[in-house]
Amino acid sequence: MVRHRKLGERIGTFFMFAGPTTLIFTVVMVLPFLYGIFLTFTDWDGQANSFAFVGFQNYRIALFDPVFWTSLWLTLRYAIVGVFLTNAVAFFLAYILTSGVKASGFFRAGFFTPNLIGGIVLGFVWQFIFSRVFPQIGRAMGWTLFSTSWLSDPNKAFWALVIVTVWQYSGYMMVIYIAGLVSVPGELLEAASIEGAGSWAKLRRIILPLIRPSVIVCFFLTIQRCFMVYDLNLSLTNGGPYRSTTLISMNVYQTAFLSRQYGPGQAEAIFLFFVVAGVSLAQVYFGKRKEVEM
Amino acid sequence: MTRKRVVAMLLILSLFSFSAFADVHITLLNTKAEIQAQLEDVAKVFSAESAGITLEIQPVQASESPFQALSTLYASGNAPSLAMMDPADIPLFAEKFLDLRNEKWVKDSTDDFEAVKTKSGAIMAFPLTVEGYGLIYNKAVLAKAGVDPTKIHTTAALEEAFQKIQASGVDALIIAPMDWSLAAHFLGVAYSVTARNQAGLESFIADLKAGRADVSKNKAFVGLLDTFDVMKKYNAGKSDPLAITLDECPALLGRGKVGFYFMGDWAWPALSSFASDQNGFGFIPVPLSNNASDFDNSGIPVGVTKYIGIDKMQNTPEQQAAARAFLDWLVYSKSGQNALVNTCSIIPAFRNIMLSPTTPHPLSESIRAYVAQKNTLFWVSIPAPDHWSKVGASMQKYLAGKIDRRRLYAEINDFWKSTK
Amino acid sequence: MSTRKVGFAPARVASAIKTLFLLVLFILYMFPFFMVVLNSLKRDTEVISSPIAPPSSIYWENYRMAFEKMKFMRAFGNSLIITTASVAAIVLLSSMCAHYLVRNKTKLSTFLYLTMVAAMIIPFQAIMIPLLKIYGSIGMLNNRWVLVFMYIGFGAPFAIFLFHGFIKVIPRELEEAAIIDGCGRYAVFFKIILPLLQPVIMTVVILDVLWIWNDFLLPSLVLLNQASRTLPLSTYYFYGTYTVNYGCLLASLVMTMVPVIIMYMFSQRFILKGIIAGAIK
Repeated sequence: MVRHRKLGERIGTFFMFAGPTTLIFTVVMVLPFLYGIFLTFTDWDGQANSFAFVGFQNYRIALFDPVFWTSLWLTLRYAIVGVFLTNAVAFFLAYILTSGVKASGFFRAGFFTPNLIGGIVLGFVWQFIFSRVFPQIGRAMGWTLFSTSWLSDPNKAFWALVIVTVWQYSGYMMVIYIAGLVSVPGELLEAASIEGAGSWAKLRRIILPLIRPSVIVCFFLTIQRCFMVYDLNLSLTNGGPYRSTTLISMNVYQTAFLSRQYGPGQAEAIFLFFVVAGVSLAQVYFGKRKEVEM
Repeated sequence: MTRKRVVAMLLILSLFSFSAFADVHITLLNTKAEIQAQLEDVAKVFSAESAGITLEIQPVQASESPFQALSTLYASGNAPSLAMMDPADIPLFAEKFLDLRNEKWVKDSTDDFEAVKTKSGAIMAFPLTVEGYGLIYNKAVLAKAGVDPTKIHTTAALEEAFQKIQASGVDALIIAPMDWSLAAHFLGVAYSVTARNQAGLESFIADLKAGRADVSKNKAFVGLLDTFDVMKKYNAGKSDPLAITLDECPALLGRGKVGFYFMGDWAWPALSSFASDQNGFGFIPVPLSNNASDFDNSGIPVGVTKYIGIDKMQNTPEQQAAARAFLDWLVYSKSGQNALVNTCSIIPAFRNIMLSPTTPHPLSESIRAYVAQKNTLFWVSIPAPDHWSKVGASMQKYLAGKIDRRRLYAEINDFWKSTK
Repeated sequence: MSTRKVGFAPARVASAIKTLFLLVLFILYMFPFFMVVLNSLKRDTEVISSPIAPPSSIYWENYRMAFEKMKFMRAFGNSLIITTASVAAIVLLSSMCAHYLVRNKTKLSTFLYLTMVAAMIIPFQAIMIPLLKIYGSIGMLNNRWVLVFMYIGFGAPFAIFLFHGFIKVIPRELEEAAIIDGCGRYAVFFKIILPLLQPVIMTVVILDVLWIWNDFLLPSLVLLNQASRTLPLSTYYFYGTYTVNYGCLLASLVMTMVPVIIMYMFSQRFILKGIIAGAIK
């Protein structure tokens, strides 16, 4: 049927159905992305209307900037810790919730709640907790670890970011893990029990391999979110104390908008894109290779 | 008499011409967060008095620099009609601002406009505020401790004062750990003393960028940081210096819980809300050495701290005219002058404004006294948009004891060497 | 769930312990929220002096002040309009586009589809600067509808990806039969395909609402006058501008969180289902 339609009609259909979306997508994502790459080879300073071609200079400035590497390394550490902790907590919660507990629906809904709130608000909530509530508790109970605000020390501020990230995303990942765990066929587990397998063995040999798709998805999502974090960074620590928790997204933003170095800023962003794309794709690829088919 | 009539006629004419258009909507980007609420009131008064113009005040985040805010607005096509900027930022937007050299208020101003003049003599902005900063002291606290503020002209004398205050049962001072306060204002004293004027500043900065100047060998920087060491020792917040919030400081000084607080006169609105004696405060200079006769130990930096530029690129001619009318209104109309002096507690940069504040403003008075005695230092507006953030971070590390003095010098030098 | 082979008593004890443990964790999770609500009812001085203690007297003034100063209703309205318009547009346009891409396998459509899928990986930061430059220079920023337009562009790839997978499974014969019966293309799409896509639409709606409602960075760069601020923007600027009163600030946080929590309480099942469906794809 489709083959016999007139060309005009086919073009018409294309424009009506796919046209708007394609147009908008191109103009909002493709064009700026390509233009962004173009910009990294010019010396645009954000204000002037003319710019000159400068080759790889922006990349040189960006990639030779120690602050950029400090920030990237910091983000990497943050992402690794964040991804593993989030997934560990999420899986742990999911495991307990699917092992026959009362009111699991209530808990499931409850643990998910932090994820509903946007990063900005979450950051402010925890900023209050870390700078006002914990110090009070710490001083009252004599716990030196909590006597001062965690946000005024670089190491503690780093962990503050991690904690809030885990808190924010563990519920979300937990929900995905629950779905994965629930789909593990009961018969397999029963059969294993009959054979005398303990919980730990069941976990390692049956459950974990079978929920691999969930694991891949969760890792993918948490890696993406950790690398791109900005809202939380802004409201919780604002890169402080003394710029020690400036993660890479904030660094890109500041290079461009604070230090007025738009070319290097965009170069950093492009580099970041390659890093994130590489890590995500690698993670999915290696994950899928080991996937167990049902 | 005639002048007033002419002004009145001009105002009426301009009002007429504006009422001819439908409501012209103009915006003012406010980079003085502490007067946000006051400016909104001023905007209401102005809009009510000016038929056909509505003025909206746009705030800026406390953590964002004026430069950041305005560049983003220009980049996204949303430039405000009026932009309140630091002097150093005005030249960066010069090609976008209206030339105001022929405005009436230029001649009535006490400012020399050096910071905002282009090479061709165009004046790019309106001087909004005259401000100063230094060590604000609480008269009652000092009196009780037996300290005479007028006699503190050396670092040693300052330390002695701190000790006396401490002995009287009160903390000596509170240091606000904000990056902008430490880098732009506190360190500003050292830049000011080294530079002496705008030309001197430009050459000093050029030397720093080229690596010809080294702050560790600069007497002003060394002396200032020596004083800072003394301040750190007696800082009420020294157990966790970076956890002190900006709001705590005026509360502590106002309530007499500390004797000194380094800040500018813009802290007055916050301070007055905590002060029992509305007249009980003043400024003393930050001493840079132990030589009492050094000029710099007697003066505080005073200057025009905020200028307002009018955008000519993204605002219509009607909006530009409305913006110019607002500036005229501030200088020449009763309610405008009242807005400056009383509502916003600003020291205006205009000779013709004779209005005295109806409510006490001891910090302004202190500044006027220094101006009268010609004991003022050049007000420095640092010509690097991220100085406050990066060098501020270094100062914070130094305040918290994370780096030593050598490292601080190195970081300041490195900052300039790596800035364009 | 796996059944227990062991006797009942130990199982019950184990279950009770687990429930208790979960309860403790749950309380820990909710602790920040609780603290914020608690302190939002106190006067500023009390918040600073005794953040953990219950309020000595309930101080509603914080809420009144916050409501007024952050222009809550206006911000809420903006968020509502932008989110609804964006999500509706994304669903409609993406489903139509996905349908076309599935039913018209040409080189172009395959290329388009792959480009869109690949684009899902591009981080926003790589686009934000040039995006601002392009749209700024043609004066198109500071407009709610431009923001909606951008959300469509950013949301389309993932939505199309989801729709694509779903539509592939719908038998072609269904459509062809309808066409034989005399249905026009559009009628076929709206009357037959769209209803079948309900589950995916639900997923897309949920994920996109959560994303757009809470989004901060893009609106902060695009929406610059106060009147058009969304709720996250309003909260952020409120926090930065009026840093005087902690009680008031916390009240503003509570107010920002309430709409989402309410919506969640009503549609929690759907939301969780949506998350799962989205992840599986």
